[in-house]
Amino acid sequence: MRMDSVITTQARVIGALVLRETRTAFGDTQLGYLWAIVNPALSTLVLVFIFSSVGRSPAFGTSFALFFATGILPFQTYSKLSSSLMAAINSSRGLLSYPLVNEVDILISKYILIVLTYLMIVVLFFSIIIIGDDAPLPVHIEQCAMGFGALTLLGLGAGTSNAVLFRLWPTWKQLESIISKPLFFLSGIFYVPSDFPTHIVKLLSWNPVLHGVEWFREGYYSNYNSVVLSKSYLLTCALVLLLFGFLGERLYRKKSF
Amino acid sequence: MIEFQDVRKTYHLKGVTKTILKGLTARFPSGKNIGILGHNGAGKSTLMRLIAGAELPDSGKIKRNVKVSWPLGFKGGFAGKMTGIENVRFVARMYGEDTERMVQFVEDFSELGASMSLPIKTYSSGMKARLAFGVSMAVNFECYLIDEITAVGDARFKRKCDKVFETKLKHANIIMISHAESAIKKLCDAACLLHEGELTMYDSVDEALAQHRKNQLK
Repeated sequence: MRMDSVITTQARVIGALVLRETRTAFGDTQLGYLWAIVNPALSTLVLVFIFSSVGRSPAFGTSFALFFATGILPFQTYSKLSSSLMAAINSSRGLLSYPLVNEVDILISKYILIVLTYLMIVVLFFSIIIIGDDAPLPVHIEQCAMGFGALTLLGLGAGTSNAVLFRLWPTWKQLESIISKPLFFLSGIFYVPSDFPTHIVKLLSWNPVLHGVEWFREGYYSNYNSVVLSKSYLLTCALVLLLFGFLGERLYRKKSF
Repeated sequence: MIEFQDVRKTYHLKGVTKTILKGLTARFPSGKNIGILGHNGAGKSTLMRLIAGAELPDSGKIKRNVKVSWPLGFKGGFAGKMTGIENVRFVARMYGEDTERMVQFVEDFSELGASMSLPIKTYSSGMKARLAFGVSMAVNFECYLIDEITAVGDARFKRKCDKVFETKLKHANIIMISHAESAIKKLCDAACLLHEGELTMYDSVDEALAQHRKNQLK
C-alpha cells in the first residue's frame, strides 16, 4: 500500500470509530451524546453555585465562577482523558479483530471525541459566565487555546501510558485512581500558587497539570503573572509520557496474552 | 498471495507457554481455496487471525497483496448498544463502502426485517450470526477467511449462504477452517495441516485429510 492510501484508510477508520463512540457512550438514553456535554457542564455549575452561595471569594479577579471555571475545566479535560484512555483499549477489545483497527486508532478516536466534547463544554460554560456573571472576555485567547492544547497532550500521554501499564499489570487501575485523586487539590483549582510560601510552591510546581491551569489563566486574565508557569516543563512532561505510552503500545500492539 | 516469512507465535499465560508457530515460512497462493486442518487447540484460529492481521506475530513478517477479510463469523466487533443498522454503517465507513448500499444488502440478505433498527443486545445468537455473515458478504474482498461458520441458521438460510458464496468464489478465494471434512472437500482445492507448531502444505485435499486422520489416532 502507498503511504497516502495508508493515511486515508487510517483517517477513515478513526472517523468511523469517533462516530461509533458517540452512539455507544450514551446510546440508550434519550438525549444520546448530548449528555456527555450536559453532564460535566451542569455538575460544574452546581459546584460554582454551592461555593458562591457560601460566600467564597475568588483567589483572583472578581468572579468566583470565572476563577473556578478557568481551573476546573482544563483540569477535567486532562483527567477525563487520562482515565478514559486507560480503559479504552480493554473495553474495545472486540474491535481489534478487525484487521483495519489497531490500538492507536482506538486511543486517537477517543482523544478526538473527548477533546471536542470538552471544547464545547468550555465554550458553553464561558459563554454562560460571560453573559450571566458579567465576567470579562479572555485577553489572550490563543494562550488559553495553547494551554488547553498542551493539557490535552499531557492527558493523551498519561492516558496512553496508563493503558500500557494497565495492560501489563491490571492492579495499576486501582493505584492510578489513588495517585490521581490528590491532583484535584494540587492543580490550583481553588487557589493561586502565590498564596503559599515558596517551599510549598516549589513542591506544587512538580505537578504538570498545575502548569496547564496556570497557562490557561495567564491567557485569560490580563494581569495574572503566574509565579510557577513553565511551559517547557509541561510540554516536556507531555512528550515523555507520549513517548513512553506510544512506544509501549507499539510493543504490545495486537498481541493477546 | 499471502506470504509468511519466519513467523513465530507463542502465548504465555499463567506460566504456561504455548507455541503456535515456530518459524513458519509459507505461501498461500492466490487462485486457490485452502482448507486449514488441525486438532482442537492446535492454533488454527490464531493462524487465521495472523493471516487477517487481527493479531501480530512475535517475530517474522506476513505479506499480503490481496484484500483479506476479517475472520468471518466473529461477532466481537459489534456493539450491543448500537442497532443492527448502526453496526453495519460502522463497518461500511471503516472499509470506505457506500453506507446505504451496504445497509440495503445486509437487510436483504439477513432477513432481519424490523430487528435491524433494534440494539444488537436484543438479538438471539442466530440473528447475530446472520447479521455478521451479511456484513462480511457485503464487502468485496479478494480473500475470505472463514472460521467454522458453516452452521449458521436454518436450512433455508444455509442455502442462501451457499448461493452467495458461489457467486463470491468466482472472483475471490477462501481460506477456511472446518472440522467438517465434507465442507473442506466441497470448497477447497488445497489444504494445509497445522500440527505441533509446524504447518505442512498439501496440493491434494485427500492427502491432507488422510494425514490429519492419522495424527488424530496417535
